[in-house]
Amino acid sequence: MSQTLQRSRGNHRVAAQGEPMIWLTGGMFAIACLMILCLLGFVLYQGLATLWPRNYLLVGMLDGELAAGEYLERRSYVLSQQNLKDLGPKSRAEAEGLLGQQSEVTSHQWYLRTGNYEVTNRHFQFVPEVSMASDAPLYPPDIWLLERRQWGNLYGFPKRFSWDIDSRTTSMQAVHEAMKETAKISHRMEAAKRELEHLDRRLANARLSVRQVELSEDSDLQKVTEDVLAAAMNETSVDPSMESRFLPVIQSVSQRAKDALMHLAREAIEVQAEQVHINEELATLEQEIQSRSIVMQLPVLDSIGSISVSKNALTSSKTCPEELHPLLGLEGIPSDYTMRAAAIAEHQFLVALQRSETQPTYVWFHTDPASDTATVYGLREHTVLVADIVRLIAPNQLSFLGKLGVYADRWTEFLFGQPREAGVEGGVFPAIWGTIVMTLIMSMVVMPFGVLAALYMREYARGGWLLSAIRISINNLAGVPSIVYGVFGLSFFCYTIGGYIDGGPVKAGFTPWPEATWFSALALFAIVGLIAFTLSFLTGQNAEKNSFWLRWLSLGSGLLWIATLVGVVILLIKIPMFRGFYEAQLPNPTFGKGCLLWAACTLALLTLPVVIVATEEALAAVPNSLREGSYACGAGKWQTIERIVLPYARPGIITGFILAMARGAGEVAPMMLVGAIPLTTDLPLDLEFPFLHGSRSFMHLGFQIYALGFQSQNSEAAKPMVFTATLLLLTIVTLLNLTAIWLRARLRKRFQSSQF
Amino acid sequence: MNRLKAIADGQDIESVVHEEVMSCDPVLSIQNFSLYYGRKQALHSITMPIAKGLVTALVGPSGCGKSTLLRSVNRMNDLIDSVSIEGDMLLGGDSIFSPGLDVIQLRKRMGMVFQKPNPFPMSIFENVVYPLRIDGERNKSTLMQVCEQSLRGAALWDEVKDRLGESGLSLSGGQQQRLCIARAIASDPEVLLLDEPCSALDPIATSKIEDLIEKLKGDYSILIVTHNMQQASRISDHTAFMYLGRLVEMGPTSTIFTRPRLRETEDYITGRFG
Ligand SMILES: Nc1ncnc2c1ncn2[C@@H]1O[C@H](COP(=O)(O)OP(=O)(O)O)[C@@H](O)[C@H]1O
Ligand SMILES: [Mg+2]
Repeated sequence: MSQTLQRSRGNHRVAAQGEPMIWLTGGMFAIACLMILCLLGFVLYQGLATLWPRNYLLVGMLDGELAAGEYLERRSYVLSQQNLKDLGPKSRAEAEGLLGQQSEVTSHQWYLRTGNYEVTNRHFQFVPEVSMASDAPLYPPDIWLLERRQWGNLYGFPKRFSWDIDSRTTSMQAVHEAMKETAKISHRMEAAKRELEHLDRRLANARLSVRQVELSEDSDLQKVTEDVLAAAMNETSVDPSMESRFLPVIQSVSQRAKDALMHLAREAIEVQAEQVHINEELATLEQEIQSRSIVMQLPVLDSIGSISVSKNALTSSKTCPEELHPLLGLEGIPSDYTMRAAAIAEHQFLVALQRSETQPTYVWFHTDPASDTATVYGLREHTVLVADIVRLIAPNQLSFLGKLGVYADRWTEFLFGQPREAGVEGGVFPAIWGTIVMTLIMSMVVMPFGVLAALYMREYARGGWLLSAIRISINNLAGVPSIVYGVFGLSFFCYTIGGYIDGGPVKAGFTPWPEATWFSALALFAIVGLIAFTLSFLTGQNAEKNSFWLRWLSLGSGLLWIATLVGVVILLIKIPMFRGFYEAQLPNPTFGKGCLLWAACTLALLTLPVVIVATEEALAAVPNSLREGSYACGAGKWQTIERIVLPYARPGIITGFILAMARGAGEVAPMMLVGAIPLTTDLPLDLEFPFLHGSRSFMHLGFQIYALGFQSQNSEAAKPMVFTATLLLLTIVTLLNLTAIWLRARLRKRFQSSQF
Repeated sequence: MNRLKAIADGQDIESVVHEEVMSCDPVLSIQNFSLYYGRKQALHSITMPIAKGLVTALVGPSGCGKSTLLRSVNRMNDLIDSVSIEGDMLLGGDSIFSPGLDVIQLRKRMGMVFQKPNPFPMSIFENVVYPLRIDGERNKSTLMQVCEQSLRGAALWDEVKDRLGESGLSLSGGQQQRLCIARAIASDPEVLLLDEPCSALDPIATSKIEDLIEKLKGDYSILIVTHNMQQASRISDHTAFMYLGRLVEMGPTSTIFTRPRLRETEDYITGRFG
């Protein structure tokens, strides 16, 4: 009995049941899930929290300073003997008390967004809790947050407005009103500036046609051009008689050059007249813009003197102390002013002095517990143009719904607005748009190539070692680091093909042949091509006769076709007559640099393996019985592919295609090399002729994250934007992937057969 | 000596073809036909006539080349690169393997139905008119007419006439196989090639198909591969017994099933042979 028991235990080894492995495998699974969740949670939190409006607080410090900012979070840090040095005397004493005999202790500090960059020289601040004079900060209700076009956020109390305010409205409404008006003016100014640019382009085009004449005639018109332009400066308007005045200047040149130069002269005169006109208009508009400004009081302290007033008097009194008047240069009699004091800490007060309808003046009192005196600090004044303000809110007065409104408004600006402050603030619309347009063009390039190549490999090519080798290479190509594609794209697409388009073979780095050589080569390759055509025609005619000679013949014709193709390429790069489509613009490159077109081509190359592999898999999944059924009905090869194979494989192909798009949309490394730039307002696809601007550089979301976080001058300020952009990119890629999954599920259902 | 053993040893044997079969009016005559997959010979010099308007059954153990023979008739084996052939087949007097012959046209003269139903992933209607579609037929009424005719021919019309737009894959297995038959007869072929059409079906669906074959006989010449001896005896007029790529005996079904000339055939038919 006991023996059998023992044996059975011996047979049932624990490992044989797999129980211990459940812990290992399950544990690893849990860790993997946790890591993914952490990543997602982190990006989600950071990305979503950035644009949420926070409360603004003032907190008094032991050593008499004032810390102020939007409260972001409380972080722990290690307080050690070393970082005592950075503290003022009083907070150092406090910290020493906290440390006692220990060499370090964990303490907390507050992370504040200070804004007011041009005054404080920083965007963020850490405030250690040991240095605070009070742990109850003051949330001043009147504080305003101005989000500006330049210099980032400004926090302060409004003091004066440069224009008259209707007494029936609140000051905030008044500013909003003024913002609307200045926005109109700004629009007009922008339109005027666009007009100026347009004029510049007109002049540049006229100069370009002169340059084209110069290039085609091989003459030097530089001097004459300068003379014509100088002469045009003296004219006021275009009139028939002016021709005669220009004749002496241009008499030495050909008739074509004369025409081009006269055209240039007329354009220059017209442009000049209009420029004067527009510049005048711009000046008036500018004046109007300058006339609307607000004086703000920033929470930055300037000592202005001391007066004798007790702490009690300060808190109980309702009127302005007499002595304060000269210090602050207040108008009117002191008793006109009411006084409200709010304690920031035990001996620190924020005091608002207000006269009837006007805005309050803020001062900061630091009372001395020993004597009856108080030091008075004024708040630094700073003037802000209304036109500079993008958004005005009073953060401490916002209800939850109000905050939600601001949040939504900020997201709207983020998604659909133009960038401000070198992309650190404002929107990323050009980046989103650039990413979308680039990805779409990439798809249009990669789709036909990928699908046709896969069709050939799966449906036409005969299996063999060569095909296997190619298939393995393509699979490996999917793993090549993307920066390699970037380098290739830059040197091949941008410099070689782009250079060729711009300035012909010379610009692309090739030496053209002399004309005689080139034409003989042309003749040679034409003959080769003709022979190849004849041969393949003959073999096609006799395809049924499976003879030995025929096989060699078809091989020969294939080789000749390849030779012809090589010949065409050689002829193209050695052509002496072609000087490029954009020669006149040189040395400024048009296509010979990173731009939308080449970025899309590079990405198409990068995603080609993904598309080919996915398409091949989809084709392989088509049951052979369907193909046979179709052939048995008398269908040809292409008919079968078109009517049976492709429809059946479509879900798989589309899925692979969307996955390729997702991969392409998120790719950054090659983008840095072939056309993405951190800031531009030019969109790659817009309403301006010719609508799609293949030669433009563009903004790209993935590249934007890199450029903002690591390339911008103020990466600390850019950090919030980095997270929001990351979240956006992640969302786009996730959406694409989800679409792929959904599509696959939906289309697959169509092909599911009912069981017997 | 046992002929089957001789075949297994690689010896050539004389096939026994009854005079009744030889004297019939053939739609297709197979003449000394051999087929190789690369080096491997799958069919050894097969000679047999397929009678016009009758059902000819091909029986024999798995791997004996029945499907290969069937697929040679409409040259489906062309799709396999390694295949090479000797001998010839004549369809209505024309060689199937003549160099100038248009394979597509040839396949349109035959309808083929496979072991597993293979309806295309499209509507029932489109499935049936597929052979016309690839010919470029656009006329709606012609298509509709052919569709109805073929579906009636395949005894499926009453079951699907209200749902022609539904996917062919939504039908049951037996219906799918009849749909494939409808597709095969849509181009009005001369010969129907059926490769074990019932082996994936349940008994009820099988009997429906058998009834259908019974009905189609006369209009079409049918060549059917089957593993089911009862089926062969029920529906066929001629039966050919094949073994390892060779034709062993061929005769009228009644003779083959009651008093075949060869012991080996009798053994196989009665199931005494492994
Ligand atoms: N595509 C092919 N390539 C090579 N050999 C094949 C191929 N198809 C069938 N065969 C071989 O040919 C022989 C006959 O096969 P098949 O005609 O399918 O037999 P059956 O249909 O009678 O069961 C078998 O030995 C099989 O292995
Ligand atoms: Mg078979």
